[in-house]
Amino acid sequence: QNSFTVCFSVGYSAVALNHVIDFKEKKQEIVKPTSPSELFPSLPIVQGTSKRIKVLTRLTLIVSDPSHCNLLRSTSANIRLYDIIAVFPKTEKLFHIACTTLDVDLVCINVTEKLPFYFRRPPVNMAIDRGIYFELLYTPAIKDSTMRRYTISNAISLMQICKGKNIVISSAAERPLELRGPYDVANLGLLFGLSEGEAKAAVSTNCRAAMLHGETRKSACGVVYTVKKPRKVEEEETAVPACKKAKTQA
Amino acid sequence: MVRFKNRYVLCEVVSEDPRCRQCIEDRALGLAVRDAIARVHGDYGLACCSISFTVKYLNAYTGTVLLRCRKDSYRLLCSALPFVRHLESRAQRYPCCLNTLHVGGTIRTCQKFLIQYNRTQLLRLLQNCTNEEERQCIQKSLLSCSLTEEQSQSGDEEEDDGTE
Repeated sequence: QNSFTVCFSVGYSAVALNHVIDFKEKKQEIVKPTSPSELFPSLPIVQGTSKRIKVLTRLTLIVSDPSHCNLLRSTSANIRLYDIIAVFPKTEKLFHIACTTLDVDLVCINVTEKLPFYFRRPPVNMAIDRGIYFELLYTPAIKDSTMRRYTISNAISLMQICKGKNIVISSAAERPLELRGPYDVANLGLLFGLSEGEAKAAVSTNCRAAMLHGETRKSACGVVYTVKKPRKVEEEETAVPACKKAKTQA
Repeated sequence: MVRFKNRYVLCEVVSEDPRCRQCIEDRALGLAVRDAIARVHGDYGLACCSISFTVKYLNAYTGTVLLRCRKDSYRLLCSALPFVRHLESRAQRYPCCLNTLHVGGTIRTCQKFLIQYNRTQLLRLLQNCTNEEERQCIQKSLLSCSLTEEQSQSGDEEEDDGTE
């Protein structure tokens, strides 16, 4: 819970809680996500604006076998309760399936060991077209030196294929001190081979787009976000007839 | 025109241990940052960044740090700052992390940013205030923020931030 208070003070406006499901064990049931209101009585306010922080729930599936993917197609009610669904493919075939046909929002890229497969261009391009984002974790890089090497080499090989598009950088922080502010995470993106604008987007706009993709998936069609704009047009229209009236009277 | 251009990086030290605040000092922080650069960028990175590297300003109450480096190597410095994990001083290790706030070309721009940032922090403290006297203190210091006398004011008022 401390990690959340640090998040809020550092300037994040939305946080996603992750539940990890590993399929190596038998008979894993998809657990209902704990609703955020159970964890905090009142959500603190984002620093700098007057809105409250959004807490989303997220499910990560570690798949090492094609039969595990059937779970996603089943109409289990619990899956619908999660806002964002991510998949962690372990083999090349699964990576291909995840990019092309699976109904997910994020594809996690392993950073803790050397990738057993190379990225190929066709599935990556299809994923970009479908609006799926690739996710990189940065907390192992902070903790350990060998993980740092794997993180950077995997990240750079991903960059070379996808040209820096559709990347999301996130932390798998378990303790509050492993969390870093958004400016710092964008600087880490520079280490991974992103350009400066892409790195900032990886922290801000791409994340928001992944969130909207999750909402689209829930509602089964497109999502349109409307923003309230001050209604200046109406005032002008009402002003004009008054002037006309004045002229006719004078 | 021949002039050495510097970049000033404004950071904030975030830690859970309240004793860590008291032993933030410029040498310990400089060593921790250099160590992180050496781990991430190696000997080349350390050599590049330490051409004109100093800790220019340090505020132990709020944990604000201002670092200076050359303009050519500020990216190396900024990308190594997330890897600072602990501060060592007087044979004690305190886990902490550095949060980058602002990068500027002159000390004056960093100071202006720091004033605005402190103002927002004081506003946040005002919301969490329980005591009426503290509330009045904070309101008084908010109203008297200015470029010259901000630093002494924020040093006094942020003490309750350090003890929270």
